[in-house]
Amino acid sequence: MSAYLNARVSLLRARLWQRLDFIRLLDAADGDVAGVLSEQGLPQLASGYLGQDAHSLEQRIVARVLDETRVLLRPLEGVARAFLLYWTQRFEISNLKTLLRGKMIAERPALLLARLTPMGSFARLDGEAMAHVEDLAELFRYLETGSYAAIVRQARLAFEESHDPFLLDAALDRAYYEGLARHAKALEAEQGTDFARLMGSYIDRINLVWLLRYRFNYNLPPAQVFYLLVNAHYGLSLSLLKNLATKADIAAVLSALPDSLRTVLADATEISEVARRLEQRRLLLAEHILRKSGPAFTRAFAYLMLRERRLRDVRAILRGRQLRLSSRAIAHVAGVA
Amino acid sequence: MFRAAPMVRVTLWFLASESQDAALLLARHGEFAPVSPDEGGDESTHHEYPTEYPTHHPVMSYREAFLEAESRLRKLQELVKEPDPVVPDDAMAPALTGLQGTNERLKHVWLAFSETVETLTKISEEQRNLRALQESFARLHGLNLDLSQLFHPDSLLNVRIGSVPVGNLPRLKEAMALGGYVLAEFDRSGEQVFAVIVGPRGSDVAGLLSQSGWRDMNIPDALRTRPEEARRYLDERSATLASQWQQAQVLLAAQHQRYGERIREAAMQLVLARPLAEAAHTGVGQRGQLVRLTGWMPKSGLNALQTALATRFHGRFLSEVRAPQADERAKVPSLLRYPRWLQPFAPLVRSYGLPRYGEFDPTLPFAAGYLLLFGAMFGDVGQGAVILLMALLLGHRLGRMCWVGVAAGAASMGFGVAYGSVFGHEDVIAPLWLSPMHAPTHLLTVAIGLGAVFLVLTFVVNIHNRLAQGQRAAALGAAGGLAGLVFYLGALGWIASLAGWVDWAFPASVLSATGLCFVALHVGMESRSPWGERLLVTAIETLETGINLFANTLSFMRVAAFSLNHVALSLAVFALAQGLGPTTQLLTEVLGNIVVIVLEGGIVAIQAMRLMYYEGFSRFFSGDGVAFKPLVLSGRACLFRQD
Repeated sequence: MSAYLNARVSLLRARLWQRLDFIRLLDAADGDVAGVLSEQGLPQLASGYLGQDAHSLEQRIVARVLDETRVLLRPLEGVARAFLLYWTQRFEISNLKTLLRGKMIAERPALLLARLTPMGSFARLDGEAMAHVEDLAELFRYLETGSYAAIVRQARLAFEESHDPFLLDAALDRAYYEGLARHAKALEAEQGTDFARLMGSYIDRINLVWLLRYRFNYNLPPAQVFYLLVNAHYGLSLSLLKNLATKADIAAVLSALPDSLRTVLADATEISEVARRLEQRRLLLAEHILRKSGPAFTRAFAYLMLRERRLRDVRAILRGRQLRLSSRAIAHVAGVA
Repeated sequence: MFRAAPMVRVTLWFLASESQDAALLLARHGEFAPVSPDEGGDESTHHEYPTEYPTHHPVMSYREAFLEAESRLRKLQELVKEPDPVVPDDAMAPALTGLQGTNERLKHVWLAFSETVETLTKISEEQRNLRALQESFARLHGLNLDLSQLFHPDSLLNVRIGSVPVGNLPRLKEAMALGGYVLAEFDRSGEQVFAVIVGPRGSDVAGLLSQSGWRDMNIPDALRTRPEEARRYLDERSATLASQWQQAQVLLAAQHQRYGERIREAAMQLVLARPLAEAAHTGVGQRGQLVRLTGWMPKSGLNALQTALATRFHGRFLSEVRAPQADERAKVPSLLRYPRWLQPFAPLVRSYGLPRYGEFDPTLPFAAGYLLLFGAMFGDVGQGAVILLMALLLGHRLGRMCWVGVAAGAASMGFGVAYGSVFGHEDVIAPLWLSPMHAPTHLLTVAIGLGAVFLVLTFVVNIHNRLAQGQRAAALGAAGGLAGLVFYLGALGWIASLAGWVDWAFPASVLSATGLCFVALHVGMESRSPWGERLLVTAIETLETGINLFANTLSFMRVAAFSLNHVALSLAVFALAQGLGPTTQLLTEVLGNIVVIVLEGGIVAIQAMRLMYYEGFSRFFSGDGVAFKPLVLSGRACLFRQD
């Protein structure tokens, strides 16, 4: 299993876009973009890319990621398989949010369906049935009988009291990521430190960025901010997060971080900059893991992380070109500046 | 019987205002499978994930209205059971405005029902909470607090009593501590924890409590007074809820009475509207006031359809008919028809795959081969008769598959006569052919011979299939093509010469070497690698061809091995029974035969299937044909579902 998976990851690794590929796409004339995308193994994004809206591009990217995930899932079993399946559910949680928001504003079912990301064989939700419910109450009733009942019940309780869509999203996200951390914990003993470091860089980024946003953008009280963070066991422990949530400003939060994170975030003053640097740190770690000969599953997970990030960078460039933004601005957003 | 019915691609143009009736007529005809007019042009159409859900087209509006209405009808039908509508022959499909009207009426009906359902859900939830409250109330005294003082509005403390999901409790406790609050649990009921929170008034914890799913427990004044008053209050509330539940049920029945006719009428309209809505999913073109429906249908039904269209639309339609083109054969649906006696075997072939259009349909040879192999491996008159009788007895549970059991039992009986075996006894009847125990070498030779004939037939079928798919090079040069067949026949001749049966060693060697050279040439030409790699691939794949054919042929030795195994198992049963009293001996033989039938019979059934699938089908059968799914008037075929 391990040798097969390793061979698969090594083959897939060649598909990762490199800096020069991004620059080529950035510099290509409009008529050549489709050719560049096809040559670089993304013919799905090439067909009529200028006419594609953001949803269509996102759907094609997710379809690509799911296709490759399916290939990597084949030799997996047990907790590793369960983890990767749960990992794909991020896209379905996103569909769930789309459905809930759509029902809040009584959106037409057909429009709502058009905005859902098709999950293919990974689907656990019946998008057609949910898009056709009459209102939010009926949607909640429906969801609480399905695969996401536990996650949705928490979100409903939060929403019914406040009727605040933000609380609904936050409850869904927190429940999902806590589930992800639980799935990861079951794998850490067999996968070793690289996997734990990768998960740590992922969850720590989420926690720190959420903490800063909730605390200083949305001005939520420390107790609520703390409650909304993901309960995990990585670099940012719960006791540390509790302490960070009480800090008065961004600088105070950053100065109270452990050394490894403080070094990465030195001189950062904006939340967007914090997010960018932590994302960069996560991707560098994933690249490092992918290069070395560690456990096959960890390499596969690192590959999927990198692949998705780079596909989103491709999307950023395509969207930038569609919006006629300057090359410099696009390069900055896509991380190739 | 050996291939799918010949198909034609039909494109029909109708007035847009008559498109729903045109689709209805096609569904009534039951032989038109719609396809996208431009199917095959865009890679995304073959992708597992449909990336578009068109909504801008007038026909799409029809489909959209249909889907909304159907979803509402389905929900209503879960609440009120109504029989399927009987559609009159002359009923016409609703136009878009009619369908939208039906959809609106269904919305109105569903909202009325939904309100009642919501009421029932809330009553049910409140009843649960009330039960929990009744249980908790007794324990509130355990807090030893003067509640009326605690809840006093002028108090410096903010005190709340409520419940929270048990999973959220530890985190909420920690978070409350950050806000200067204390949380004390005093009871649990199912997944809910009942707790008191106390903290400084003015501190903002409302958002946190909402987030955690906290529910304030509304403690009525009655509960803050004497216990008997509190109990009376809870009992009264409980009775009120039960009465409300009854009222809601009565309301539901009244709504059924009131809206039943409307629901039945809507169900009829949706049956009539379904064909166009389904066709719209696969692709209906529209140009101006004309609508185009494209699809595949069996050539044999074309005249009848055109007559029906002419009668209904009196020339207000255009049709174009053409045969499948060479490059689209893989997408042409396969319509396979079988005589009744062969139908039970079709699912066994389907479980491997569906033949492509134009490919050889192996159902009949499968049935013959499977029964032959099963009988040869499990030849026994008595045990075969038991299988036959059991299949007949279980007919109502096995459905049509029972006939496979009956045929397998009969085949077993036939070979039982040939082997002279009755419940393992070889001294009851004389073998018509041979006794496996007494002529094992002969049986092994026959089994290998059978395998060789079987493999030669698979070569012939594979060559036919490749030619039917326009793959001439593969038909001639591939390992499974003519070159492979020449090699195999040569190799068989050479082995027969070695065994001394014939004297064809030289011509057989030349034939075999020629076939192998053509296979190597084909592999080399098909490979797109650099020369070094190409040579390596050619050498390995050519060698593999020889080894595989050798292994495939020897695989049929299991036919003889299992027939010997059958005898050996019977002997083991007799050895156990020997020396016992007459009754115990009979009992042992009966039990032994049951074990043989269940255990060995099961294994042989699987082995026969395995031989047919892996030594047979895998050599010529791609199994990726497209199923023929015509528009039909009733049923829930649901071509349009995303799964």
